[in-house]
Amino acid sequence: MNSPTRLPAPMGLLIDRERPLRFSFEGQSYQGFEGDSVASALLGNGRWLLSRSFKYHRPRGPLSMAGQDANSLVQLPEEPNVPADLHPASEGLKVAGQNFSGSLDSDRDAYLGKFSRFMPVGFYYRAFYKPKGMWKIWEPLIRKKAGLGVLDLDFKPQYYDKAYLFVDLAVIGAGPAGLRAALDAANSGAKVLLIEQQPVLGGSLNYARFDIAGTRATSLRAELLAAVEGHPNIQVLLRATCNAWFTDNYLPVIQHKRMYKVRATRCLVAAGSFDQPVVFRNNDLPGVMLTSAAQRLMKFYAVKPGQRAVVLTGNDDGYLAALDLQEQGVTVAALVDMRTTPVDSELATELKRRQIPLHLGSTVYEALHEAGMRHVSGVDIRPITGQGKVATQGLQLACDLLCMSAGYMPVYQLLCQAGGKLAYEETRAEFAISNLPTHLDIAGSVNGRHLLDNVLADAARGAAEALAALGLDVPTPAAFAAERPVNFPWPIFPHPKGKDFVDFDEDLQVRDIVNATRSGYRDIQLVKRFSTVGMGPSQGRHSALPTARLVAHATGRSIGETGVTTARPPFEAEKLAHVAGRAFDPYRQTPMHRRHLEAGAKMMPAGLWQRPAFYGKAEDRDRCMQEEARHVREKVGLIDVSTLGGLDVRGPDAAELLERLYTFGFAKLAVGRTRYALMTNEHGVVIDDGVCARLGERHFYVSATTSGVDRLYQQMLKWNAQWRLDVDITNVTAALAAVNLAGPLSRQVLAKVCEGIDLSAEAFPYLGVRLGKVAGIAARVLRVGFVGELGYEIHVPARYAERLWDVLMEAGAALGIRPFGVETQRLLRLEKGHVIISQDTDGMTHPAEIDMQWAIGRKKPFFVGKRSIEILEAQPLKRKLVGFTLPPTSAQPLEGHLVLDGADISGNVTSCEYSRTVGQIIGLAYAATHQATPGMHIPIRVEGGEIVQATVVQLPFHDPENQRQEL
Amino acid sequence: MSSLKAEDFIERSPLYPLQQGARLATLAHSSIVARYGEKEEHALLQRCALIDLSNLPRVGFRGSDSAAYLQARGYCLPEQPNQAVRQQDGCLVARLSQSEYLLLGSLHDLGARIAVEESRWEQDDQRNYLLPRQDSHAWLQLTGNRSAEVMAKLCGVDLRARAFASGAVAQTSAARINVIVINAGSQALPALQILCDRASVQYFWGALLDAMDEFGGGPVGIDALLD
Amino acid sequence: MKILTCPLNGPRNISEFTYGGEFKRMPDPARCSDLEWADYVFNSDNAAGVVVEWWLHNASSYWFLAERHTVSDQVLRTFDPKEVFDRRIDFAAPATIPEIAG
Repeated sequence: MNSPTRLPAPMGLLIDRERPLRFSFEGQSYQGFEGDSVASALLGNGRWLLSRSFKYHRPRGPLSMAGQDANSLVQLPEEPNVPADLHPASEGLKVAGQNFSGSLDSDRDAYLGKFSRFMPVGFYYRAFYKPKGMWKIWEPLIRKKAGLGVLDLDFKPQYYDKAYLFVDLAVIGAGPAGLRAALDAANSGAKVLLIEQQPVLGGSLNYARFDIAGTRATSLRAELLAAVEGHPNIQVLLRATCNAWFTDNYLPVIQHKRMYKVRATRCLVAAGSFDQPVVFRNNDLPGVMLTSAAQRLMKFYAVKPGQRAVVLTGNDDGYLAALDLQEQGVTVAALVDMRTTPVDSELATELKRRQIPLHLGSTVYEALHEAGMRHVSGVDIRPITGQGKVATQGLQLACDLLCMSAGYMPVYQLLCQAGGKLAYEETRAEFAISNLPTHLDIAGSVNGRHLLDNVLADAARGAAEALAALGLDVPTPAAFAAERPVNFPWPIFPHPKGKDFVDFDEDLQVRDIVNATRSGYRDIQLVKRFSTVGMGPSQGRHSALPTARLVAHATGRSIGETGVTTARPPFEAEKLAHVAGRAFDPYRQTPMHRRHLEAGAKMMPAGLWQRPAFYGKAEDRDRCMQEEARHVREKVGLIDVSTLGGLDVRGPDAAELLERLYTFGFAKLAVGRTRYALMTNEHGVVIDDGVCARLGERHFYVSATTSGVDRLYQQMLKWNAQWRLDVDITNVTAALAAVNLAGPLSRQVLAKVCEGIDLSAEAFPYLGVRLGKVAGIAARVLRVGFVGELGYEIHVPARYAERLWDVLMEAGAALGIRPFGVETQRLLRLEKGHVIISQDTDGMTHPAEIDMQWAIGRKKPFFVGKRSIEILEAQPLKRKLVGFTLPPTSAQPLEGHLVLDGADISGNVTSCEYSRTVGQIIGLAYAATHQATPGMHIPIRVEGGEIVQATVVQLPFHDPENQRQEL
Repeated sequence: MSSLKAEDFIERSPLYPLQQGARLATLAHSSIVARYGEKEEHALLQRCALIDLSNLPRVGFRGSDSAAYLQARGYCLPEQPNQAVRQQDGCLVARLSQSEYLLLGSLHDLGARIAVEESRWEQDDQRNYLLPRQDSHAWLQLTGNRSAEVMAKLCGVDLRARAFASGAVAQTSAARINVIVINAGSQALPALQILCDRASVQYFWGALLDAMDEFGGGPVGIDALLD
Repeated sequence: MKILTCPLNGPRNISEFTYGGEFKRMPDPARCSDLEWADYVFNSDNAAGVVVEWWLHNASSYWFLAERHTVSDQVLRTFDPKEVFDRRIDFAAPATIPEIAG
């Protein structure tokens, strides 16, 4: 069934009349065709009222038919704020209106418009922010009244992603300029990406008219498309929006569910210009639309925009549009030209020939409507008597379509993001763009070229400049003809009764802008913030130019001085899903990961690593930890410490490098011995620690904290880029897997599977390091005491790690070996009072605060931080890290809870856990130095504000003589 | 003594939990996927395929004496950093900096030549330091005509052949982890060798397969390469 | 996104790099005054103009220096630190007991 208002071919470029479809709007079923947008299908059915305005709930219909305005935002089941003039209609689609109370057709809140005089700009800020706290009460009510659509909180996540596209030349916009430039560049060998927002190539060639005969656009379009489509050097992206310009031509281009990250050596913006509305009373009624929108309706969708039209124009293009309308059977009741004469006198002759009444030097002063304001019903035409002034008497004409075009505003948004400047050319009443970076260019009407031949010549020039920069062959440029003005300088006609909208999104009228300047907001940026002009979904596409003019006039400055507000990305609304893309969240697993899962480990993140916290269910945390800890203290446990940072330092200057990087001395460390290694930065702040094992005269193996090793490795390289020591530093963190076999029975377990190492206490004492074989695997074995028991750290190449785990677990089975996790290890080390750098230290901690002065080599000429530590040590100590205990029945402090000193804060808890071994709650905390003597009490404020009195104790909590680790 | 010995142990790829059901082949002391299933894997190779070469030997050397050492061992070295040279016997030598080299074993000898380089090496007074690349890095091979497009979803470097010719090396970031990418392709079969952090390979394998999905890509065993 | 040209790896997205701070010469820690040392450790010039900065290419762990204009954000030149650090640096033992701030 052909809808009665659809026009015959060649109108309807986008629709397939053979493929009808049904969808619903506001619960009512409508028919459209494949290729229709939601808006065109509704208009094809005579349904014009698509939404209600933001503030006054006025009825609104499409303005631009190009997705550039907020008038046609609709609600889809899973998505609010969808531009109905861009979104394709599809079979079964359920569409609803937004921003109304009751029904779209009879909105209970439409009375708000009558109160507009009581809701001036700045109203919200003034009325609802005082007294303090009131905004919290008003906000939900206002948001509900002014809401734009509803989010579906039960949505199913969909797959969005990103991909790079690398091109020589990115052309944004596939109108005549974009097509011509892409073609010229591609013909000379450049790889071109052509980006077009609409579903078809051609831009204005698809809908605008360039000559009286109406043939030029069609033939040029056919010629350019035939050459571009299928060109091996041109990649076309349709329904794609370049949503920003970032440094060095990094362009986010959104198409469907993908964001292309385009990297273009050169970029040419041929995005055209926005048709501009005229400001008069009721210029927002459904049926009042941009002239180009009416042309789009006919040519793209074969929708007849009305039966009887009035065309209001400030340039010659309106005349050509009137010819289009008449040819499609629309009666043109009047052409109202704000100028006193058209530039091309043949146009007036043609109108006369076609019996279209012409009103020169006149404007529409008010659009008329019937009750309910559902559609325009006529116009009040008045002669213009001065800037913004009209005669008291006029002519009233009936019409159901009012097309308006005041001129054009270049699509400046991306260009301003690139640093482009807008300068107002008074003679042409037009903004022009300059100051662009060298690898970014513009061509066509965005560059102030409006005659079609000039547009093409400008595109050829743009292509030639790009080709020259790319080092490719440059074709000869074409000449330009003289341009003619296209903008009427003052298309603003304030009405004493208002509703002369400057910004449709935000329901802002002429007086709202003028009043903002009278309230003292003279700067355009402040006018925006105070009035919200340009803040809506259309981001000033139609309001920036009239606002600049109004503010300039009201403040007695030029329009150029006044300018427009900053244009920031994104160009149009973009979904967070596009920004997020397919999330990349890297994680790292040790080679023994599988074994932990099989043993029932509760995994926890440690930086990017996944580590076993303990073995058992999450709800059994405390029990599992205490049991694992007791097992290590009494028998033997095994923990995967592969995530520990590992660095091989090799070469003649290996010892010298470590002398400089770490606080301790390493030059005299014997081969086969290890030593604690503490690192400070130039501020004297503790930044990392580890164990330094001397494997050879020129070979050290240094461990580092899991979270710190990557940064540490970088810092080592940076220092040696300056010192030029003869040494190689290799990060072997992932290459070497490691376990700590700990507990009084650990020697017995290791003895079963170890070859080539005498494990006796005399031959391999505490702090020794040996090379040998464990389970037949070449291993580095270190006697370390992090958990305070007899223990061996065994480091092997990652490829053998799972085997090492299996062999040790099997060898220890008879002795009751069990794995233990990171949380257990943290408890065990806490019992020994060992600090964890970055948990028990912060960005200010220097060695004296954590009793680490013993780890500083005083005789060395230099180490990083040495000078700062000397300066710090000469000053009185302000705080200290102390051990504290609390009875098991006390409330348990958490990390970060505050330590008090009278009314002041003197420190905070850094670690705290219940220890079954000690029988108390134990912890570490910073406290003032005068609170730090063992036996003193420190008040700690715990959860809920309760204050507990903890007892400062000597560290360690367990095995004070350190006998167990040295067995 | 334990009944379990390293000698009895066949090294498995860090990706082995994902390779269940695949038919395995043996490479010296390790295993590698021969084929994943009954699907025609050879055709996939041309289109878009991912191969786990993590158990194929590889090793690195760095230091001011490394070039002389490797030349004495019979290797032809790239003249510039970030280039790779295919050796007569099929193994690949990539130069990563002024003084660092990465040696990748060939399937033709199952990596035997490169495995020897690692096992025979002993640190002496020369400035030639071994880098344990087989343990620090996993090794994946991405083949087929769509390789550059797959990588463009993960990586900000243009890896199309016109910008990244055969023999080119890129040390960069892909899917937010550091990688070394080498164009080791030929006219017959476009191929990128990709080395990444061994601990991250399970993550990276998933990210690659996900990126390959739209091109109908998938994992392939080494049989397809050896056919 | 800005492109930074690494002397080793060529032009890359700046997200592949880590900023390493303003390039500063360390005063002789054994001989400078506390004030000079504190100035070195804590103060940056933050000059409007061409500055020299440390940058690290993450994937290759390669440090280099860049000359950047802080007003235009234009990088004029990047180069290997060997251009500046052309010989081994050694630290002498303090000649005298350094002045200590009280």
